[in-house]
Amino acid sequence: MFVLIRISHVCLVFTVVILMTSVVYAATPIINIEIRNHLFFPDEIRIPADTKVKLIIINQDPTAEEFESYELNREKVIAGNTQAVIFIGPLAPGEYPFFGEFFPKTAQGKVIVE
Amino acid sequence: MLLNAVIFILQEVLEAALLVALLLAFSQIFSTSRVWLISALGLGFVSAALYAFNIALVSQWFEGVGQEVVNAVMHMILYLMLVFFIVLAMRPESTTNSKRLVLTMMLGVIVAVAREGSEIILYIHGFITIPDLLLPVVLGSVIGAGIGISVGVLFYYVLVNIDVKNGLRVGYVMTLFLAGSMVLQATQMLIQADWIISQYPLWDTSSLLSERSITGQLLYALIGYEATPTPIQMMSYFCALALMVVLSIVSRTRSKRPSK
Repeated sequence: MFVLIRISHVCLVFTVVILMTSVVYAATPIINIEIRNHLFFPDEIRIPADTKVKLIIINQDPTAEEFESYELNREKVIAGNTQAVIFIGPLAPGEYPFFGEFFPKTAQGKVIVE
Repeated sequence: MLLNAVIFILQEVLEAALLVALLLAFSQIFSTSRVWLISALGLGFVSAALYAFNIALVSQWFEGVGQEVVNAVMHMILYLMLVFFIVLAMRPESTTNSKRLVLTMMLGVIVAVAREGSEIILYIHGFITIPDLLLPVVLGSVIGAGIGISVGVLFYYVLVNIDVKNGLRVGYVMTLFLAGSMVLQATQMLIQADWIISQYPLWDTSSLLSERSITGQLLYALIGYEATPTPIQMMSYFCALALMVVLSIVSRTRSKRPSK
């Protein structure tokens, strides 16, 4: 029982730490990506390593799309003719593919971190 | 387009199907009526439609991260529901025809169906404007949903057909990991929203077991498999499991005491 109480204490402290890490960051770079005819424009974006970036995905199509990336661990529905904000990074150098889950044949792109 | 639809719908249906299978199996073991499922599914679909058709509005909340926040809240509700459920399930006196138990299960099914169903509605709805693709998409969706529901049915029958003691044990472990997975996903959503700090992953097992593979998808639905988890995600996952184990043990010892 003592061990169990100990575990719950650790978890409580952990929760408090998480809530306190909502640090305000200085000027996050913004990159716009458009979706037109189920394609990403640009379909390749370059971002610096170890930097948080704000992606603004503008869906010009009338249909919804879901931005998805297993490598970036991101998943977000973007309704038709709307735009969405997705934060990515900080990331290690490498290639991180992303795709539109609703139209995966055409909507393909990648983030190149360098 | 047909294959894409099968895969997409299967992914969405699988998680909800496993949850429903688990709750139904518990209902069967506790010999509680299972009529609640019909109204829960109905309410779930209505909520899914409401969420889907207001997704643009919801997305604007909290400076553009409303969708992440709402999804995180839904996953946390599912976690709390599973915790409350397991605490009740540990007390034999509170399981038979308990209103609280049924309401807890109903809430779980409604939220799970709303979460996964809204994406399915948005997906299929998009193809109404593209008549050439509508038929293959609908057909693929039906096949995908069929496979997902079949996996759920299979789990249900495995759980109710092994003896009660083992059925409860397996069900308990499944509930535990499913709950952990909910917290993992909630944390993931808040990282995406930039409400929780984004960290470098602890490890990368994607070359061993890709999240895209069928095994990866099934493990994702069952235990929340994540190829590149961050330290905060792992901590929240294990804290969520630990809290659940502690509460269920407390509930069990309390229920045993009066009978002695």
